[in-house]
Amino acid sequence: MHPVTWWLWAALVATALVRLQNNWLTLGLLIGVSFLVYKYKSEGPWSSSYNWALKLILFVITFRVLIGVIIGVPVPGHTIFSLPQIPLPKWMAGITLGGPVTWERVSSTIIESLNIASVIALFGAATALTNPRALLRSIPPLFYEVGMVLVIATNLTPQLVANAKRIRVAQEVRGIQRSRFLSWRQIAMPLLEDSLARALDLAAAMDSRGYGLKRSRSRYRPHRFQIKDGLIVVSAIALLVASL
Amino acid sequence: MIKFQNVSLIYPTAERTILDNLNFEIGEGEFVLLIGETGIGKSSVLKLLNGLVPHHTGGILAGNVEVAGFSTRNVRPGELAELIGIVGQNPINGFVSDVVEDELAFSMESLNLPEEVMRKRIEEILDLLSLHSIRDRKIATLSGGEQQRVAIGAAMVLHPKILVLDEPTSALDPVAAEEVLAILQRLVHDLGITIIIAEHRLERVIGYVDTVIEIGKDGATRIGKPEEILKDSKIAPPIVKLARALKLPKIALSVRDLRKETEEIRTNGRDISFETRLTGSPLITTEKLNVKYGSKLALSPIDLKINSGEVVALMGRNGAGKSSLIKALLGIIEFEGEVNKFAKRNGYIPQDANDLLYHQNVAAECEQTDSDNNLTKGTTFALLQQLAPSISLNSHPRDLSEGQRLALVLAIVLSPNPDILILDEPTRGLDYQSKALLINQLTARAKSGSAVLIATHDVELVAELASRIIILADGELVADGPAIDVLLASPAFAPQVTKVMSPRKWLTVSDVLRANE
Repeated sequence: MHPVTWWLWAALVATALVRLQNNWLTLGLLIGVSFLVYKYKSEGPWSSSYNWALKLILFVITFRVLIGVIIGVPVPGHTIFSLPQIPLPKWMAGITLGGPVTWERVSSTIIESLNIASVIALFGAATALTNPRALLRSIPPLFYEVGMVLVIATNLTPQLVANAKRIRVAQEVRGIQRSRFLSWRQIAMPLLEDSLARALDLAAAMDSRGYGLKRSRSRYRPHRFQIKDGLIVVSAIALLVASL
Repeated sequence: MIKFQNVSLIYPTAERTILDNLNFEIGEGEFVLLIGETGIGKSSVLKLLNGLVPHHTGGILAGNVEVAGFSTRNVRPGELAELIGIVGQNPINGFVSDVVEDELAFSMESLNLPEEVMRKRIEEILDLLSLHSIRDRKIATLSGGEQQRVAIGAAMVLHPKILVLDEPTSALDPVAAEEVLAILQRLVHDLGITIIIAEHRLERVIGYVDTVIEIGKDGATRIGKPEEILKDSKIAPPIVKLARALKLPKIALSVRDLRKETEEIRTNGRDISFETRLTGSPLITTEKLNVKYGSKLALSPIDLKINSGEVVALMGRNGAGKSSLIKALLGIIEFEGEVNKFAKRNGYIPQDANDLLYHQNVAAECEQTDSDNNLTKGTTFALLQQLAPSISLNSHPRDLSEGQRLALVLAIVLSPNPDILILDEPTRGLDYQSKALLINQLTARAKSGSAVLIATHDVELVAELASRIIILADGELVADGPAIDVLLASPAFAPQVTKVMSPRKWLTVSDVLRANE
């Protein structure tokens, strides 16, 4: 699979869904995407990103419903329960704070949130289905340097965390007689020195290996756009066209 | 192939010259070993070869370094990439990608080689260095030996004529070190590559090299066959020290050769008794101690007892569970089972001694230790001066030589008089002199009733130091016994002197001398 495929697909389908505003289609797609991720997510820490997307969706919907119930335009209909209404100045006519909460009001905010939810879910799915490093590797040559920096940063960040832990432990054992709470400086100084030394090592290694010598770079086993990728993207385009 | 003419190097802020008037020549297809005390500038010589010094590090270079006709002064390191491959001291710091295959491709991508060429060369390198089975693996999950091989592979894909390695085996266990060295030898013999390495553990590499360059303190450089240089060099592996101590007419570099010379000594020597150190009360005991990372068992249940007066060496391959055991004993990771400590104070020296240091100068580190441990002012510094008399109070800990830094860390850890001292592979990058300091200090601690637990790959250190050895393999305890028995039982862990003197039970040069008095 080409790493860009799912991202392209997510962007196209999200646009189509926002245009269509069809609740049943949105709901169906949400379920379909969840199944897709459950079945095909790749190995790695990023694969849990869909779970985070779902949590975010839950938060967004709850938050919107809460706000929609307390503040907003009253919608007539079946009252579920009533909140005490706080009077607002005359110039804010049409908006109420508190008051009766109708079933219609709750359901309309939930349906409004569905669109946001679908966009979050689609991009969450794209993240879970694609190795971010592969994505960085396939960005256009113009941004190669930026991609390179990001790739190295993603490689080094876990190391940095591990180093900080290691240093803290070593120093805890050294100063255990006095306190378990160490000042930031005690960790930061060795960590900074260590990171600088590593950065220099890395720069020296890249320099010796000819990095930056030639203006253009070749790619080892570049990701090729296959028929499978084509089908996925074309289906998304079809949906978008249908929505117009 | 390589020519150093009157090469001197100085860094503007440094007080002393790093290299002083170096002259030597290296021919094609040679396997060269660079020796010298720590801090003498071996790493600088290696970096001079492809121009990292001075292009990358700064510094003032006098004289001329010529590599295959290029003067390194005039070309950038990258331009020499197809001529010289370089593998640094910590290969992990030089990796750019997360997967083995991508890492191998990196330098070829930089040089814009066509894809077919890359495919071909990567397969070639995977075969040459037996990396086939790990081509898709994440580099971070590889063992030290595998990482070293990947780094060599990444340098070899450009088909360089020269390969430079800085301490390629110092972080490896004996078996992994053998593998890496065997690969280097194959590169020299089959491909005619010139290899230059710096290494402190001469006992590991001396059998492989054709030429030795010794860099002396006063700029005196000697180059020659290993036998010539090692006859009277200050730095020598145990096998050479043995030949010298026995006053043999000529030194030998392989166990086989020295065995021929010492037949008489083996037959005539007396059996010696090993001083049984009085081992007192237990200081640490464990019951069914085990460590899990997720669902993976890093350490199977272990019952262990470490007594006062013992020096226990903890050995085993990388990833065998040594660090897990140490961390569990220190109580810094979660474990199951029981650890009982009957000690008032623990001392711990981590793998990277720098982790302990955070002040801007030596004096502040010493004061911190005094106040952390309620010691009288100046206690730590007094100890430090015993260990390293020449150390300056104002130096930054990072600027100290490896030996001086070891002295500083020892002073910090030892001044509160710990009952248990735990060390995690402290000998990386240490020369024989610094190791002698370590051996003296630890032996003295044990004699005064402390217990010492040291995790290490260095069998020669263990032979000199340890009274008892524990070997772990895949998280299980496979051997636990007196040093002499355990070392003799396994060919991988036997020190050089023992190999020469087998089947006699002598571990060190002094044992042999004692037996032949």
